[in-house]
Amino acid sequence: MNRKGKLFRTLGVTSVAAVSLLMMVTASGASSSGPAKGQPVKIGISLSLSGDFSADGQAFKQGYQLWAADVNKTGGLLGHKVVLDIVSDASSPTQVVTNYQKLISTDHVNLTFGPFSSLLTLPAAKAVSRYGYAMIEGAGGAPSVFQAGLHNVFDVALPVANSLVPFAKWITALPKGQRPTTVAYVTSNDPFTQPQLPVAMKIMQPAGIKTVYNKVFPAEVTDFTPIADAVAATKAQVVVLGSTDVPTVSAFMQAFEQSGYTPKVFIATAGPDQGSTFIKAVGAANADGIMVPNSWYGLSAIPASKTMVAEYIKKYGGTPAGVNGDVAEGYAVGQVAAAAVKATGGFDNAKIIKYLHSGVMLQTVLGGAQFNALGMNPKMTAYTFQWQGATGTKFLQISPIGDPNTVKAVFPKPAWGK
Amino acid sequence: MNVTALIDAAKDGILTGSLYALMATGLTLVFGVMDIINVAQGILVIVGAYLSYALSVHFGIDLFLGLLITIPTLFVVGIVIERAFLGRLKGPEKTAMSILVTYAVSLVIEGSLNMIFSVNPVQLHAWYVNKSFVVGGYHFAFIYLAGFALAVVLLSALYYMLYRTRFGVSVRASLADQASAALVGIDVRRVSTICFGIGVAVTAAGGMIYGATTTFNASTSYDLISRLLTIIVLGGMGSLGGAMLAGVLLVFVGNVVGVIAGAVWSTMAYYVLLIIVLLVRPQGLFGKQSARVA
Amino acid sequence: MLKTKRLWWVLALGVFAGFPLVVTNPSYQTIAFYSLLYMACAASWNMFSGYSGYIALGSGVFYGSGAFTMALISIHTHMAPGAAMFWLVPVGGLVAAAFAVPLGWIGLRVRRHTFVVITIAFFFIFQNAAINFSFTGGTAGLNLPFITWGFSYYDLPFYYVALGLVIFIVILSAAVRRSRFGLQLMAIRDDEDRALGLGVKVAAVKLTGFTMSAFTIGMAGAVYAMFLGQIYPQFAFDPMFDLSIAMMAFFGGMGTLVGPLVGALILESAQQYLTVNFSNGSLYLILLGGLFLIVFMFMPQGIVVYVRDTVTKKAAREKAAVASIDLAMAEGSET
Repeated sequence: MNRKGKLFRTLGVTSVAAVSLLMMVTASGASSSGPAKGQPVKIGISLSLSGDFSADGQAFKQGYQLWAADVNKTGGLLGHKVVLDIVSDASSPTQVVTNYQKLISTDHVNLTFGPFSSLLTLPAAKAVSRYGYAMIEGAGGAPSVFQAGLHNVFDVALPVANSLVPFAKWITALPKGQRPTTVAYVTSNDPFTQPQLPVAMKIMQPAGIKTVYNKVFPAEVTDFTPIADAVAATKAQVVVLGSTDVPTVSAFMQAFEQSGYTPKVFIATAGPDQGSTFIKAVGAANADGIMVPNSWYGLSAIPASKTMVAEYIKKYGGTPAGVNGDVAEGYAVGQVAAAAVKATGGFDNAKIIKYLHSGVMLQTVLGGAQFNALGMNPKMTAYTFQWQGATGTKFLQISPIGDPNTVKAVFPKPAWGK
Repeated sequence: MNVTALIDAAKDGILTGSLYALMATGLTLVFGVMDIINVAQGILVIVGAYLSYALSVHFGIDLFLGLLITIPTLFVVGIVIERAFLGRLKGPEKTAMSILVTYAVSLVIEGSLNMIFSVNPVQLHAWYVNKSFVVGGYHFAFIYLAGFALAVVLLSALYYMLYRTRFGVSVRASLADQASAALVGIDVRRVSTICFGIGVAVTAAGGMIYGATTTFNASTSYDLISRLLTIIVLGGMGSLGGAMLAGVLLVFVGNVVGVIAGAVWSTMAYYVLLIIVLLVRPQGLFGKQSARVA
Repeated sequence: MLKTKRLWWVLALGVFAGFPLVVTNPSYQTIAFYSLLYMACAASWNMFSGYSGYIALGSGVFYGSGAFTMALISIHTHMAPGAAMFWLVPVGGLVAAAFAVPLGWIGLRVRRHTFVVITIAFFFIFQNAAINFSFTGGTAGLNLPFITWGFSYYDLPFYYVALGLVIFIVILSAAVRRSRFGLQLMAIRDDEDRALGLGVKVAAVKLTGFTMSAFTIGMAGAVYAMFLGQIYPQFAFDPMFDLSIAMMAFFGGMGTLVGPLVGALILESAQQYLTVNFSNGSLYLILLGGLFLIVFMFMPQGIVVYVRDTVTKKAAREKAAVASIDLAMAEGSET
């Protein structure tokens, strides 16, 4: 009988110990006011530095850091030095909520920037909205983010749904004799990729480009061979791949090569925009002719972008083509925040939210940023880019047609490895 | 429906299936002899893949040549795991406990791999990885054929060892009944350790081909281990032939369903197949009808 | 004696009830909330798997079903965001229990280790279905009615509901342990054939235990969905969940009443704390796995049993020194 008594004593002691451990942590609340004079301004960010989205997480981190360094060179924000408080969320929506709460209530950050991917942006934005914070972000462009009825989300990047429009317009503008006649759509089961394909299909179908394959594959799949083989078996002239990352694109390219299939046009919704990461994964020769929709590239003519690219190369090496699009998106988030802080004369998030909803047009490395009531940036122009040549250094804009920076596309795509 | 696509799916299913068969054979052998379910088998495949990766990237050693190093390395890893942790398991909860213990082992390995190799997915490269042959209008990727050949060679070697050597006799005796094997003077403890080593060593070969045909990082092991467990249960736990057949069958069914209904349903297809088989034959396709419940 | 025991429970309850009043920092309240949620799940898992020896690794099915019940009903009935949604928590439990009946009926026909794999298969079937059927929102997930409570208050209702779940499962487990039904479950764990021979209706007993365990886990899933305000099939049906609660239960002491609670409290708060403060998920995996292996090697019965035995032995030795009777032996054989 004694034994049982002691068992419960054990329980008591253990739980008391664990709870008092937690209690030692000082209690505190949120601070919406700005930093004291002479104190740095803290910006809280949760990124996927491990887990599924870690490659993008790292690139965003570089973008945020480049921006912070630039701001600090010119005296900081309203005289406060910018300090980034970056924590890791391992790509988990549960963790991202805990992280932003900790950033606000324990670390007392003054502003919050977005995590990577729409999946995490949504729960994160909900959590920070309870504290009245704005969530300025560059990687939460899926329709689901804007449909949640949140008032504090601002996405500086392109809303994803219309990304493929310039591509579809480019292909339908090809002369009739050259224009491909068959297309295969294959996409990962993902809120970022899935909304993009039907939009492209709606433009391409009426122009006589027949859909011969249209299937979804599971996001967590690792062996793409059967899916790629099924696409190859259709011998479609165009492949539109709804991908979220480099490994998916590289796996499809490999499987296509193994089955001796070269589409005339190959576009992937994400992956080829990752600069040197992409080239390293697929090999420079194989990249020739691969296309990707995006709103920015390393050769962008926007002056702020040129400066940023030069700084990036100075710090991390490489070529303009090798700069990941995520870097620019992270940088642009910082620029929007800085503009709002300057305009409102402080770090009051309520004022910042009001200001960003006012319809003001801000300039970023991506181009103009102007937010509608949902926090989207619908004025952002979509482009289509293409890797050209076998050196892995030429990443060029091929659409929209008529844009001064648009060059002629490589078409049809050369054979693999040539 | 596209007939070419179906034939492709079937062909890929058989070629890839043989690899799963190889990896699952190691798992079922360990279960048969030791009553241990080694859920670390998935992460050990990834260890094999990363070893091949490190050898080829840092030392320029060819993937197939590298197996001469990775197979013995993983054999030793297996022996260490068995001696350090699994030998301590006993009693009626042995099997259940083995799952948790090997899962803990796999967590430690997963964390270490993430720290050493980062979580960015990689793939094994060699000049022949993207090459293929054309036979009768169908493309056969070299790496899949090589994987198939490797699986056949290693499985034959395993069978030779089991049925033509003295050691094989002890293993088969232990597979049939551990208590009686011990009675006739077989050192069941030693047989167990070596079997575990062999069961783990096959992951080196499986991992190399797996790494050359798919992009991987440490967390890919979860998908892998769920498939391997499904295979050994479907085949009948402890049955080597069952594991082989089930390996091929499962990937084949998954691929064919992928072509007919879409790839999003192929994972579901093989779990449903498993449940149906178990409803009819609770002991799996080739499992022994056992009197004991536990 | 019974009084001391009750005293400790009351004390522990007091500490937990008072915690969020003392620690007002929401991020620590959130960590505490998740710890309570996992305590409820681990204890619930233990009530079936720990008592019967049938290790289920597919409890994520019930957690996810509970989460989706909360999401789908609150969305489709256009519920006003707020505390009224808590009424859906028991509904989530019931739906999970309803799923448990056919799953248990199929899964419990096979041998113990095959059961483990079958539960994994069930898990993946459910996860796959949730991802691919459109009513679950697919990978874009579902947005629950958006609760706009302020940060200083938001965690509190969830914390106390989770605490309520823990109290519920502790009382239920304690009742099961003392009941004839509990003894039957444990008889199955010790020797199923013998239990069958002695006239225990093993199939019915196992199925009842399995379903009861699913009920609480389903309720926890519903609370989780409401707390996050957003669910995705790939995270609501999380394979790590299954293994986590099994490890928590073992870590504290499988088959005991207190063990799973202690295991979940330590492991879940440690996980949240480590990830937030060290931003290194990999290090956590190594620590968790390593810690588990150490406990396995040196305290094979779990922490609670180890501590209890150590304390008991020490007390026994002291007594023995006085009375010159080898009580330690008696204590040892009594187990």
